[in-house]
Amino acid sequence: ASKAAGKLTTGLTGLAVNSTPHISLTALYDRTLKLLARMPADAKYRQSTEAIVKERLAAVNSEPDISRLEKRINCGQIEEVVQQAERELQLARNFLAWKPWEPLIGQAPPNQWKWPL
Amino acid sequence: MINLKHILKLRSLPGATSCTSAFLKETLTAPACSRINASMISGFPTPMRRELCTEKKMPTVRYSDPAIREPLKAFGKYAGECLPKYIQSADVTIFDELEILIHPEGVLPVLSFLKDHHAGQFVNLSDICCVDVPSRQFRFEVVYNLLSLRYNCRARVKTYTDELTPLESCCSVFQAANWYEREVWDMFGVYFTNHPDLRRILTDYGFQGHPFRKDFPLVGYNEYRYDDEQKRVVIEPVELAQDFRKFEYSTPWEVFPNYRDADKNMRKEGGGDEK
Repeated sequence: ASKAAGKLTTGLTGLAVNSTPHISLTALYDRTLKLLARMPADAKYRQSTEAIVKERLAAVNSEPDISRLEKRINCGQIEEVVQQAERELQLARNFLAWKPWEPLIGQAPPNQWKWPL
Repeated sequence: MINLKHILKLRSLPGATSCTSAFLKETLTAPACSRINASMISGFPTPMRRELCTEKKMPTVRYSDPAIREPLKAFGKYAGECLPKYIQSADVTIFDELEILIHPEGVLPVLSFLKDHHAGQFVNLSDICCVDVPSRQFRFEVVYNLLSLRYNCRARVKTYTDELTPLESCCSVFQAANWYEREVWDMFGVYFTNHPDLRRILTDYGFQGHPFRKDFPLVGYNEYRYDDEQKRVVIEPVELAQDFRKFEYSTPWEVFPNYRDADKNMRKEGGGDEK
């Protein structure tokens, strides 16, 4: 795909320009939503992350122009948004294994956090 | 459970930066910041300093800034709701710093959450340090300092461990953790499992002991000197053949008038020394 229509560089070292961000983002968000659906419905992480991801997915689907999409999402460049989506997907995968919505595994001993002693 | 620590009468400073996350749909349900009596916090019977808390601006006092405090409190509460399995408490200190206290099993999950989640993005691990409090059952308190560049926000994650219990290394989450964990191992003796290369970093090769522990003496155990007969540096037990080295560490002047009865109270509660 030609870069003539889009930007030449992100300005960030090591972060290449993504010429088809809509495809990347919809793929990442769909996979994240599938993973989130496997978590319990009352988990706060699932509820808030679904809200965030659906909001961004709606923005991506309704806005074909990249720079206007960046302004609408308002979280840096579209390549950074893709990075955030990748991280969230990885986090959702790990959370399915760790299950952090379960109750507290252990309290600290009584004076552990007391300061001054 | 979220504890509210010292909350002074609030005064907003000019040019305060706010660090709200655009994706927090949380409405803050914590009570509006009320003046809290000093005695409620520490149990020490002290008169409340009303004069300090009013509108008189004291240039040498650092006041609490609600523009920084409120979003941090909201995020701490949100994190506590997302990871109830590991987060024991999430407070904002008197200096407007977010501290998340976690169970040692939760190092990787909590740090991954803070780094990877959209509302966190604490991508920068600024520091890992350790605090040695020998009177506690878990004497070492390992502290992770994080920075979010996206939201211009800092957070601190604290765990605990003792001499023998290892912690999980977070090198898989933060590359920067590599040398920091090596330093904690070298200086305190806290072992990190799954660390790619856990070895000494600051002490000499063959050095024995963990220097930053409270029971390690200030001058150490061994002394290095150049020996002219052997023409090399030799290591011998330390000898301070110096006079006038007995110091009185406490000052004759009273520093904390509010805590004048603190020693009496501590002895009454028998505080601090039980293991």
